[in-house]
Order: sequence, then structure tokens, then C-alpha cells
Amino acid sequence: MSDLLQILSSGAASLAAQRAAMATAGHNIQNANTPGYARQRAVIEATLPAERVTGAYIGQGARLQTIQQARDRFIEAQLPGYQGQAARSAAGSAALEAVSALDPEAPGNLGDALSGFFASLRTLAQNAGDAGARQAAVGAARTLALSFNRTRAGLEDARTGIDARVAGSLPEVNGLASSLARLNGEIRTARAAGAEPNDLLDVRQKTVDQLATLTGATPVPTSDGDVSLFLPGGVALVTSMSASTISAVGDASNAGHLALRIAHPGGAPQALGAIGGELGGLLDARDGALRTAVQGVDQLAFDLAGAVNTAHRAGTGLDGSTGLDLLDGATAVDGAAARLAVAASVVADPRRLAASSSAATLPGDGQNALALVATEAQALSGGLDAAGALASVTSAFGSAAAGLSAAASQDAALRDNLVTMREATSGVSIEEELIEMQKAQRAFEAISRVIQVSSEMFDTLLQLK
Amino acid sequence: MRVTDKMLYDGAARDTGTLRSELSKAIARASTGARFTHPGEAPAAAGLVTVDRARAARLDAIATTAERAADELSIADGALGEINNAITRARELAVQLSSSSYGAAERAGGAKEVRGLLASIHASLDARSGSRYVFGGRMDGASPFDAAGNYVAEAGVREVEIAPGVYQAASVRADVALTGAGGGTDVLATLEALALALEANDAVGVRGSLDGLAAGTSQLAVARAEAGAMMSALDAAVAASQAGRDAAKASVAGLIDVDPIQAALELSRAQSALEASLTATAKGLQLSLLDKLG
Repeated sequence: MSDLLQILSSGAASLAAQRAAMATAGHNIQNANTPGYARQRAVIEATLPAERVTGAYIGQGARLQTIQQARDRFIEAQLPGYQGQAARSAAGSAALEAVSALDPEAPGNLGDALSGFFASLRTLAQNAGDAGARQAAVGAARTLALSFNRTRAGLEDARTGIDARVAGSLPEVNGLASSLARLNGEIRTARAAGAEPNDLLDVRQKTVDQLATLTGATPVPTSDGDVSLFLPGGVALVTSMSASTISAVGDASNAGHLALRIAHPGGAPQALGAIGGELGGLLDARDGALRTAVQGVDQLAFDLAGAVNTAHRAGTGLDGSTGLDLLDGATAVDGAAARLAVAASVVADPRRLAASSSAATLPGDGQNALALVATEAQALSGGLDAAGALASVTSAFGSAAAGLSAAASQDAALRDNLVTMREATSGVSIEEELIEMQKAQRAFEAISRVIQVSSEMFDTLLQLK
Repeated sequence: MRVTDKMLYDGAARDTGTLRSELSKAIARASTGARFTHPGEAPAAAGLVTVDRARAARLDAIATTAERAADELSIADGALGEINNAITRARELAVQLSSSSYGAAERAGGAKEVRGLLASIHASLDARSGSRYVFGGRMDGASPFDAAGNYVAEAGVREVEIAPGVYQAASVRADVALTGAGGGTDVLATLEALALALEANDAVGVRGSLDGLAAGTSQLAVARAEAGAMMSALDAAVAASQAGRDAAKASVAGLIDVDPIQAALELSRAQSALEASLTATAKGLQLSLLDKLG
């Protein structure tokens, strides 16, 4: 009698185990597309100890041992680094790809403006007394100055746009870091209750992934079961249950662009030396290729204005004026391209464009216009002429963009490979889960049958007279 | 390896995304005709394009200015030709009227003709290209000769760039050709002397002008030869610059322009690849245990 009751009792426990297996498969299916989710499996084991009856052990059914998460620690340890690197190169590549200021095919590009300026001076050299040619030359000089202004503004706008993106990302980074610290605490609490909080682990892993993507931070598991995060350079972003805060301030030594600082809990903000991930990629682009291009364009504007002004000062305008600059604003290399403008006095009166070599040979003397033309082929500070210097800036920028684009493709492929491997281990297969559900359903039906038969046996015994 | 549904969908999204991006690039290449637009797509070519474009523009400007200079020299040469005709006619008159068989009336008539020839020479010396006096050298804003026949413009020539950094004279020194500056014969003074001799019925004086007129003719011939040589050099410069410009443009085109056939093939290939990928993806995603379970 007691044996039959035992069968009924163990059957109920076994049914509960199968119900858990069914629920787990259902949970997996419902989270098949949830980012960061790792499939779970109900681990069912035979109930111990078995009952000893007259020299034999009779089993007592099955019970749910645990719900286990499928994760490959080796892959999980590698993935954040690859995610950070892929995000870094992709962000840098995208930032440079979006810049069109140096496109050689763009209408009104700096190269065309340079050529137009010197072509107009050639025309003026041949007919220095012609008011139309003079006006056209002044117009071409203004176009050149505006093209320098526009090109630099295009590059500088890209840098400023990166600042905005960095500033916009920081609240997300700080929020995620706080979340990770909080999750560490919640996971500790849940584990203290004796069970593995799989879904919390998933959320934490997803948070780690996001922070790795944004900052290039790498996770370090602790003996307490927490996950700490360290930025490139070893600065802690999250230590167990405390998170640091990243902020940004204008950096006067970098044209006011944002510099990152980090404040550890209870501490004052200090300069953040290195950061990776998307933020690192954006800063790489801003302070790397874009800054170099801005400096190159500034240097070109400064050198060209210097050469042109030297030649211009030696000449004589149609009104007899001499010693005047043609281009204003290039007083220092930094920002020269932004400030470049045609001298207001020349704009006001194009006769002041010093095309002649002497007041005695006016108006047809275009000798000084030829001297101005000669600056086209004059070696500037880098040893190249104006077109060569611009080509060098363009090629250097293009090389940086191409290099980052190639790196982005390569890094994305490496990351995707690891993501695929993670998915192969942790991802949910609908077919597998359907089969698991079928298995659980069949087992559930069979155990129900056991309970039914046991119940009938029990009834039979009770009906004995 | 386990293959999950998410892997299938993510892979399909990634693969079709890549192929769609390739198709987009192929469409852009085929529709714009440009192999690249951003320096990052072809860094070295982007730099070369900048240099070659500048070279093409420079040579184009040189060809244009050299062509204009040749046109102006042509005007100057035409004027020198007219002046030469006038001097030749003056020589004929001088030879004819230096003969003792002619009297005062004929010489007075001859003097009038010489005065007319002088006026026509002055008119020729005021030849202009647009508003510029072609015989004024760099001082081309006013007539280079005053009414008395004195050269009042600059004793210099204008220069034009015939190749990058190479300059050539592009005007005739009328003071040398007509007034004998630098040791030649003052043709205008000789003609004036001839006119005066004719007006004075001075056969000896008329005869005395013959040597000057002959020297003036030679002087003009030299000036015209120099103008011709300059025009020839300028024509050569125009041809060379245009050839250089065309070569630079061809180089730019070679760097930037996409081969239409190649572009069409790439477009077709990208379309086919995307179509194949979409078909394979659709077929792969069709199979599911969900459809088989009752």
C-alpha cells in the first residue's frame, strides 16, 4: 500500500520535472530572438536515495536538479575584446567615410579653386589692364579663400560632430556601468538564495557586451562571481558593485574638442588616457586622420598665402599701390584655412591687385601676375607645390580612411565569427526546443499513465472484500 | 556546429546586406561613371587626380594665354606688313622722284602721298587687340607713338608663359622696328625727311632717304621674322600645352572614369549575386519543424 502511494508521490515529482523541462523549452523559444539570451536546459536526475525493498533498490522517479545555461566560457572571454575592436574600427571608418570635404570629384573642391585662381592670374598676366580680367582674378581669389574656408569647416564640422556623438554616448556608458554594478549585486543576492539566476546572468552579459562595444572595456570575473570591467590602459570602469563615471570637458589644447575624464566612486575626475570601442574609434578619427587633414589644409593655406603675398607685395596695382597683401588671415598656421580671405582693400578696388612690376609700366605690365602664377609651382614648407601638398593631404586622409575601412571589415569578420560560435553554443534552435517539448510532453503523458495505473492498482486493493 | 534559427536569420541579413551594399556601389559606379568619389576608396588615385587635374588646368590656361598672345602677335604682324607696304611704296616714290626728270609739282604730289603713307603707318602703329595697343609693350593703355613720331611707350616686351615656369616674349618692340632704338634706322624720321625733301623739291634729299628706307625695310623684315618666330613658338606651345592637358585629362579619366562595359558587368554580377542570395535564403528559411508537427 505504501509502495503504491510512493509511486503516486514520485510520479507527481517526475511530472513537475517534465513540466519544468517543458517550461524551459517554452522559455527558450520565447527568447529565441532576445539579444544576450543563452538557451537553458532543465537538468533532470533520478531521485535519490532509492528505496531498498527486500534486498533490492527500487527507484523513486525523477526530479528537477537545476536549470542550466549553455555558455562557452572560452568564447565569452574572447568576445568583448573583439566586439570593442570591431566597434572601434567601424566607428572610425564610418566617421571618415562621412567626410566629403576632400572628395576630388566634389563640385567646387579646393583643387579646382586652386587651379581656377592661377588660371585667372595667367589671363590677367596677359592683359593686366583689362578690368574684366582683374575682376575675374579677384573673384577667383575669393573663390579660393572660400574653398579653403569650406574645406576646413567640413573637416572641423566632422570633428565637432564626433564630439556631439561622444557626449551623447556618455550617459549610455555611465548608465550601463551603473547597471552592471547593480546586476553584480543582484546576482550575488540571487545566488545566496541557492539558485543560478540565469536571466540575470544574460542581462549582465548583454550589458558587458554593450560596454565592450562602446568603450572597449574587457570583463574580468571575480572570485565572488562578479564581473568587473577595465578600460584599455587598465583603468577600472566597474569594480564589483561600484561604477566609475566618464565625463567630457573641452580641451583648449585641442581646439576646444572634448577630452574624456573618469571619476571613480568618491574620487575627483581625472584625465582618461585611453578608451576603445566605438568611443575610441570616434576619437581616433577626430584626433587622427581628421586632425591631420585640418593641419594639412591649414599649413597649405598658410604657405600659399605667404608665397602669394610675398609676390603680391613686390608688385604694383593699377592704381600705383604697392606693398599690399592679396590674402589676409594667414597670420599663423593654426586656423589659417578658416581665416583666409582676400584683402578687403583689393576686394574694394580690384585695381589694387598688383599685377605689374612697376608703376612705370602700367597698365599692361603683367610681370608680377606672372610672379604670382609662379607660386603655383613654388615648393612650399613640405617641399611640394600647392597641388602636390593638397594631393598629399587628400591621399593621407584617403589612406587613413581606407586603412580603417579594411580594418573594420576584418574586425567585423572576426567578431562575427565569434558571435556565430557563441550563437552555436548559446543560441536557441527552434527545432531543438520543439523536440525538447515533444520529449517532455511524451514523458509527461507516460508519467501520467504511471500515476493512472498506480491509482487503478490502489483502487483494486481498496475494492478487495 | 549547431545552427540556430537566429544564426540563419543573422547570416541571411548580413550576407544580403553585404551584397546589397555591393549592388548599391555598382549602381553608383554605373550611373555616375566614377570609379570612386571618396579618397578612402582609392587613396593614391585621389592624390594623383588632384595633381593631374591641376596639371590639366595649368596647361589649359597656358594654352589659352599662348593662343591669345599668338593672336595679338598676328595683329602686330599684320600691322607690320601694312607698314612694310607703306615703306615699299615710299621707296618706289623716292626712287622715282629722285630722278631729275621729275619737277616740283610731281614731287609735291609725291610728298602728299608720303604724308599719307606716314599717317597710315601711324594708324598701323596704333593697332589694337581689344583696348590694348599691341606695339605699346607693357604700356599698352595708350598710343605708343606721339604725333611727332616719338615712341612714348616702354622699351620692353610683354612675356607669356609657354610651359610651366617657361616664359617667352610675346610682343614686338616697335621702338626697335620703327625708330631704330638700339642702333637701327628711324624709319619714321626717314619718311618725314623724305616728305620734307619732296616738299622742298630736293632731289638729292629724296635720294638720300633711299638708304634709310632700305634699312627700314630690312628692320621691318627682321621684326616680322621675330614676330613670326614668336608666333611659331607660341603655336608650338599651344599644341604642346593642349597635348599635355589632354594627357593629364586622360590620366584623370583613367583614374576616375569607370569603363562602361566593366561597370555594366559589375552591375549585372552584383544583381545576380543578390538574387541568388535572396533565393537561397528564402529556400533555407522555408524548412521548419514547425510546419511538420501536427
